[in-house]
This record gives sequence, C-alpha cells and structure tokens, in this order.
Amino acid sequence: MKTPLNQQDADAFYEQLLDAHQGLTEQQSALLNARLILLLASQVGDAKALKECV
Amino acid sequence: MAERYAETAFRNGYEHTQGTGYALPEYPFREPPELATGQPSHHPVVIVGAGITGLTAACALAQYGIPAVLLDEDNTVGVKGASSRGICYTQKSLEIFHRLGVYERIARKGIQWSVGRTFAGNDEVYSFDLRQQGAFNLSTQPPFINIQQFYIESYLVDRIQELGHVELRWKSRVTAFRQDDERATLTVDTPAGEYRIRADHVIDATGCHSPFRQWVGASVTAKKGDDRWCIADVRFSKHPPVERHTWIEAPFNENRAVWQHLMGDDVWRIDYQMAPDCDPAEVSREDVVRERLARQFGADAGIEIVWVGPYAYRSECVDRMRHGRVFLMGDSAKVVSPFGARGGNTGIADADNLAWKLAAVLRGRAAPALLDSYDEERHEAAQQNVLVTNRTARFLRPATPVEKLFRDAALSLARKHAFARQFVNTGRMAVANPYTRSGACGATGGQSVQNVAFQWPDGSRGTVNDLLRWADGHLLVLVFGGTSAAALDRLQGLAESAPVRCVQVLGPDDRPGALEHVRDPQGHLQGACHVFGHAWALVRPDSYVAATGESVDAGLVHAVGRALGAALEEEPTA
Repeated sequence: MKTPLNQQDADAFYEQLLDAHQGLTEQQSALLNARLILLLASQVGDAKALKECV
Repeated sequence: MAERYAETAFRNGYEHTQGTGYALPEYPFREPPELATGQPSHHPVVIVGAGITGLTAACALAQYGIPAVLLDEDNTVGVKGASSRGICYTQKSLEIFHRLGVYERIARKGIQWSVGRTFAGNDEVYSFDLRQQGAFNLSTQPPFINIQQFYIESYLVDRIQELGHVELRWKSRVTAFRQDDERATLTVDTPAGEYRIRADHVIDATGCHSPFRQWVGASVTAKKGDDRWCIADVRFSKHPPVERHTWIEAPFNENRAVWQHLMGDDVWRIDYQMAPDCDPAEVSREDVVRERLARQFGADAGIEIVWVGPYAYRSECVDRMRHGRVFLMGDSAKVVSPFGARGGNTGIADADNLAWKLAAVLRGRAAPALLDSYDEERHEAAQQNVLVTNRTARFLRPATPVEKLFRDAALSLARKHAFARQFVNTGRMAVANPYTRSGACGATGGQSVQNVAFQWPDGSRGTVNDLLRWADGHLLVLVFGGTSAAALDRLQGLAESAPVRCVQVLGPDDRPGALEHVRDPQGHLQGACHVFGHAWALVRPDSYVAATGESVDAGLVHAVGRALGAALEEEPTA
C-alpha cells in the first residue's frame, strides 16, 4: 500500500469527484462510489496492495 | 460646491473599531488646474483607484518615468475605516515591491512565519514548515510576509512622491466615462467642483464595485455562495504562538472553520466561519465577537479589538480585461474569496504586467498590439485564480451531504497518511501565474523568474531586480555559457536594432566575450530562467521569460519581436 503523496493534481481530481456526484440522489451517489471503487481497484490490480487498502 | 462632495463612507454598516484601532495617513486635496482653466487636460495614462493595485501600477509607471495621473475618491489608504483587507503578500509580490523600492519597509513592518498547523476537532491533522520546502529558497525575498494592506499602500504613496512623474489626486471621484477613437474622457467630481480629464489609456483599479464594468459594457461571470465569515483583528496581552493555525472544524466555533495569523503591530487576524446565510449585523456585534474570542482564547487573554468586519464569499470574473482604452485590473477584473491570498497578490501582478507594456508602447519601443497581451496573460491568471479559490471554498463549505462525506474521509485519512493531505484544501497560496496562451510569449516562455542572486564582474552581489533596473524597461537577453564570435556579433546587431540589452552569464571558469557579463557560479540565475546548459533567455521587465532557446539565431530575433508586439526580422548581413 502506497501512502506518501502520490497525486499529480489532487485538487482537480477532488473537484471532478464532487462534480460527478452533483445532482445525484443519496442512493445514486452510493452506487457511483461503489462502481468507482471497483473500477479504481481494477486500475491498481496488485492483490497485496488492494488487500492492505481494504 | 464644496459641501456637495460625498465623503467616502464605510462599505457597510457593520464594520467597527474600538480601542486604538488604526491611524491612517491622510493626504491633502489640491485644487486641480483644470478647475481654474476650465479646460480638460490630456494625459497618456489615467489610473482610477488608489488601492494596492492602482498604487502598484502608478509606482511602476513612475519608476519607468511615464507621466500619469492617479485619481482616488478618498484621501487616505485603506477603505475608509475598514483598514484591514489583505494581509498576506507572496514572494512574487515582494519581488515586485523590491524592484519598486518599497520592500525594505515592508520587511521591517511585516511578520514572517514558516510553521502552519491544520486542525479538525481537537486534533492536529498535519503541520508544515515552509523553511523545509525548497522551491522558495533561492529568491532574496521570503515565501511571503504578513502585513496589513494599508501599510504597503502608504509606502507606495511615499515612493511615488519620491519618484515623481505620477500626480496623485485625492478626493477625486470619477462620475462619468466615455471613449472613442481619439481619446477617453473622464468626468471627475471633487470638493472644489467638477472637471474633465482626457487620456489615451485608462487603468481601472476601482475594485469590486467598479463603475467601469458598466461604462465599458464588460460582462461578468459571478458565483455567490451562502458562506459567511466574520473577521476580528485583535491584540492580546497574552498572545498565541507565531504560527498560522487553521481549524477546518473548530470545537470553539460550532465545528466551523477558523483562521488565525499574525500581522504587523502585534495584531492578529482571526477569521471565523459563520452559519450559512447568517445576519452580518448580528455576528459582528461587539458582545457577540467578544464572546466568540473568549471561547477560543479564554476570558483572561486581555483582548483588544482593533477591527471587526463580516463578509460573504463570492467570485466574479470579467469576460475581458481590456475594453478599448480601458484596462481592468485587480478586483475590478476579478473577485475571489480570500483563501490563498489570490486577490491582492494578483492585482499587484496585473499592475506590474501592464506597466512595462504601457511604458514600452509610450516610449515607442513596442507596438501598440503588445497591450493586447495584457488581457491574454492576466485573464488566464484571473480564471485560474477563480478556479483554484472556488475549490477551496467548496472544501470549506461542503454544499451537499456527499461533499461533507468526502471531506470527512479526507480529514480522517490525513491524520494518518500523507497522501490524503493533498485533499485537505485550506487554501492554495497565490503563485506567479504562468502564461500559456500569450501572443507575446513563446512556447518555452511565460514563466516567472525568481529574484535570485548572481555576481557582478567585480565579484559583488547582484539580483535579477538589479539587472532589470539596469535594463530600465528594455527586454533583457541573457546568454548562458561561453559564446561563439558569430553569436556575439549577432547579439550586438540585435542590441543595435531592437530595444534590448544583452548580457552574458558566465560560469566560474568561462571567459567573457565582448558583451556585458555577470557570473552565476552556482547556476541560480540559470535555474531561475528555466534553462540548462548553453542557452538564452529573453527576460521581460516584469521578470517573466518571454521565451528561451538554445542557439543565438533567428529564433531569438523572432522572440524579441513577439515580446514587443511586432514582427521583427533580422537584417540580412552583407
């Protein structure tokens, strides 16, 4: 698991994330988050890292 | 007539001072010559508004020897009574003030700190020490200085009076404006009556209530939030540590944000986030403010209130910063929330950007088209500053439960893990904005040059600002490393045919050619110019590189032309 500073543009990402949630109901937001987790996990790939993150 | 002039009032009815407050300098109203002659006068440049932006523009023009008139509706610096406003001046601003000759006074009066701590609830989320961060170390100015805005304004007034060239006219309110192909005409109201003044160029530095926006038909993109804050500037008999403390959720402020930092005169600025859409009169009432301060500092902290003022966050940006003869700058052009000090500091940079261009055009060294690059460069900066500041505002006032959820997640992770601190956004400090779409800059240019030190040929220490002052408003071609005889000839030809000054920058062992030269034994000047090895950098009077390149060739000549708003071709050599 990597925990040092790692993001190229954290502020832009954070903004994109909040924008993606704009106008969604609570349930839609929760679903978006769940889908994002699965998608990002697939980007990480490494089983050991994922296990530590969880 | 005299009783008709409306004195400048407090901007809103809720600001107040008590105790000693601040004593602001007052400047005399002098009856302008136009009233006696009945004839409008004509000036190359008229600046409206003697805030930090207008005064920086005036001081920079004075330094270049350009005559101008500065009109201000009041007779002092600082908005009447509300003598607080900006408190944090970044390295780029301090470098500009160094070039203008007011930095030493700012450094003496202001406060430097390097430790910042961020809290949520009762815990520290993280802290930083700016002295540990490398990027700012090479400049002869610190990362920033905290000082009340009106001090800098008063130093600029003194400096303008020393330099001459710019006439300061107090109690002079512009009430009407028009422009055509020939000129701009401004109607000015004064305690002694009304007159008209004409100008080739008008700088609108009147601030966020600018009347020019309407006069020139500027459209404004605005965003208004429900976030409300209340500032208290205070003195303590028992004061806190000289560190910046930021609470995202302060237990003593109903879990809303609090900022705490020190300025000059041992005055502390405490910003309190209030309930959304709260009543400004209520939250800034003295007994309410005192109770809030006591909750944070204890009843026995010996608090003297210097100034209190409520405000609502918002952002505004005009569509264009040039409208014919009018250049909008500072808060006239864009308004941002105070996070990261991106208001005043960008106003200062706006002023410095336009001043050298106006000077170059008025002296016949640059084409009038260069003035269009003011909007290209500073509008990009304005938009960037609005974007960055709005992100901070959103972090501090989550608009929806989901936004609050992500903030809670970021804060709880940030306590343990460095990566999550990147998401904790309590303000991103103003930077010298890069210019990526300017007609006056090449693809390699548009970046600020820090005010680093080098050695003059006699071994004494010089700084980039010394070089710029020596260049006196000309473009500066710095050529790094040993240079061939052919390249030296070419540079000589360039210096003779274009308004540039060429200087060779040598390492410890390089031999000087025929050019003026300086030594850069540690490579700081080269690093500041963003080049490596054998290279040239075209440095503008505002300490930005217009372009950089490797070999002294037609590319350099082209870059010089571009930086002056003109097409420049090398004369064929026989």
